[in-house]
Amino acid sequence: MKGIVFTEFLEMVEQKFSPDLADRIIDAAELPSGGVYTAVGTYDHHEMVKLVSCLSLETGTDGDELLRLFGAYMFERFYVLFPKYFEGIQSASEFLEKIDDYIHVEVRKLYPEAELPSFGCDTSQPGRLCLTYRSTRPFASLADGLIRGCLAHFREPADIVIEDLSGGAGTAAQFFITRRDTPL
Amino acid sequence: VSDTQQLARRLEREKQARKAAEAIAEEKTREIYDANVRLQHLNSRLEELVRQRTMELAAARDEAVRANQAKSDFLASMSHELRTPLNAIIGYSEMLLEEPEDRVRPEVRPDLDNIRSAGKHLLGLINEILDLSKIEAGKMDIFLEVFDMVALLGEVRATVQPLMANNGNTLEVRCGSDLATLRSDQTKVRQILLNLLSNAAKFTTEGRVTVEARRLMEGASDQVELKVSDSGIGMTPEQLTGLFQPFSQADASTTRNYGGTGLGLAITQHFCRMLGGDIGVESEVGKGSTFTIRVPAICPSAPPRRAEAVAQRTVTGTVLLVDDERVAGNVLGRALTQEGYRVVRAAGGEEGLRHAREDKPDAIILDVITPDLDGWSILRSLKTDPQLSEIPVILVTLMGDRDMGFALGAAEYLTKPINPKELIRLLARVQRREIAPDVLIVDDDQTTRDVLRRMLIKEGWTVREAANGTEGLEQLARAVPAVMVLDLMMPGVDGFEVLRAVRQDPSWRDLPVVIVTSKDLSKEELEWLRGNAIDVFQKGAYSRAELISAVRAMVESARTACSSRLSPACLRETPACSR
Repeated sequence: MKGIVFTEFLEMVEQKFSPDLADRIIDAAELPSGGVYTAVGTYDHHEMVKLVSCLSLETGTDGDELLRLFGAYMFERFYVLFPKYFEGIQSASEFLEKIDDYIHVEVRKLYPEAELPSFGCDTSQPGRLCLTYRSTRPFASLADGLIRGCLAHFREPADIVIEDLSGGAGTAAQFFITRRDTPL
Repeated sequence: VSDTQQLARRLEREKQARKAAEAIAEEKTREIYDANVRLQHLNSRLEELVRQRTMELAAARDEAVRANQAKSDFLASMSHELRTPLNAIIGYSEMLLEEPEDRVRPEVRPDLDNIRSAGKHLLGLINEILDLSKIEAGKMDIFLEVFDMVALLGEVRATVQPLMANNGNTLEVRCGSDLATLRSDQTKVRQILLNLLSNAAKFTTEGRVTVEARRLMEGASDQVELKVSDSGIGMTPEQLTGLFQPFSQADASTTRNYGGTGLGLAITQHFCRMLGGDIGVESEVGKGSTFTIRVPAICPSAPPRRAEAVAQRTVTGTVLLVDDERVAGNVLGRALTQEGYRVVRAAGGEEGLRHAREDKPDAIILDVITPDLDGWSILRSLKTDPQLSEIPVILVTLMGDRDMGFALGAAEYLTKPINPKELIRLLARVQRREIAPDVLIVDDDQTTRDVLRRMLIKEGWTVREAANGTEGLEQLARAVPAVMVLDLMMPGVDGFEVLRAVRQDPSWRDLPVVIVTSKDLSKEELEWLRGNAIDVFQKGAYSRAELISAVRAMVESARTACSSRLSPACLRETPACSR
């Protein structure tokens, strides 16, 4: 998993909770990396799983809920860090359709070894977008948060129906997104 | 855990993270550097690859050029190899056709005729293929000469007349009065006309074929237009496209019904363009076709090779021209110079007699009416002077008193307007003083010798043979014949060497030599032959059958001359006949 996910996660914990809490969960998680992350590095995704579960223990909030929270936070950070991916993009659906075909292609140019999830896109039904998440890692809830962050960024209220495709493992899910005011 | 400890841990984590980031940055930098090195290497390898490929391509091109040369050489030698047996086929069939009826039964004559015409057809095809390959290889040369267009048309008319008769066609030739002489390649103009006329004859039945020739002078442009029209089957617009492309006839059924290679028109167009002109065609199905050719009357492009050749070659003889008419004299003088004669001009009788004594000409051409002495008295003076009486005199006159001329000792007689060619033939006849009626044939091909020997013996000549150049020279040393018939391509001492030896030896120098060759002469060889007073007509050198007929014609003329105690020499307007 790319280092940026870890650095952003810890920054979110420091910001939304406290620097002490961040220090505590790093300590509690007994991470092989010792919690030393750099955005350009690559780390074992199990460390993220441990960090989330420690945070959950500390805060009493469900792990999936924490991942959704982090997803929405990270989307806004993406907007700040990588504005070029947003150039010419007018709506949430435009952005979501481009993840696999453009954003991940660009990421692989810089990090050929990166293992990225896939976001299949189906726009065949008017006003409805069907996004299929598939990964080797259990972060469907993180994807859920990113999608919600995206809709909030473009100020598009929508209903999301989620169908788990991995029997509770969280490695695959389908998101049916229906916009509330005008069709997506 | 104290705040200080906590801060120290965080600081340590940040430090470690910075170091990790720096290590990654360094690694990425190295990767980029390595990638650049690899790119540079690839780039220089690409240049090396391009250089290598360029060399390979150049080698392939050289190989193709060599292969093309080999193809040309092969075609040239193949044509030689094909013509030699064809010569036997045509020659023997012609000889058999000339046998009396008690020796060759009448019922086999059509078969013999078929053999002969098939042989001639095949020879024509070989010649066309060779012509086209020479054109495509850029080896077809232009030989410019001054010639009489009307005479050429007359000759062409006589040649195609039998073709016209085959399909019941009538041929009409219309000449503009201003045609006069052209300076162009006579052989090619002849071939252009023959190609178009034989096409017209082939595609027209019970119809009319017309040749119209006229001179077009517009401003600085001086052209000759030749129009060949027929009332034959004609062509559709589709058939007209690609008409001048090699190997394309109007359509495949044309080949089946009418034969031919589809090369004739391609060659014709090439020839027209080589002469600085072009060819066009108009046609309508069922109505007929008209081919129009325009070529410059004075061909500008190539240097006047023929004139140079004349200047180089040894003088055939000296002719004294006594004529008071400037214009006629100029025409004759030019024609004679072109044939290699040295011309001495005299404006009147007194001057003529003085030149006759001083220059000792080989022949005198005498106009009967001159300002001071009239022709008859000059002739009388010449014939009564022991020093001059042996010089043959040709009378040129408007008056028709032929008997009086002969009575006074003139050898030959011409009436105005004079045809320069006829004059030159006469001159050739009267020029040499004594002959023995024998022929030496030098040829390594036994069939050729056989055909020539039987033909000449039938004409009453004594024949000696030599199978190669060395034997030929030995035979010459034994006795000088009246005429030598010489092949060029022979093993060992070849025809060129024999000719060189003949021209260097004072006792053989005047020996008339007829070149019989199926070799394709190169420009250099032709020029050398001309430099040695040999006239080898380019097209004539292609057809052995034509050469045989040339020899036959020469022998006949020599026999006529012989019977009137005059020398043979040779016929100049006959292809490949030489001196």
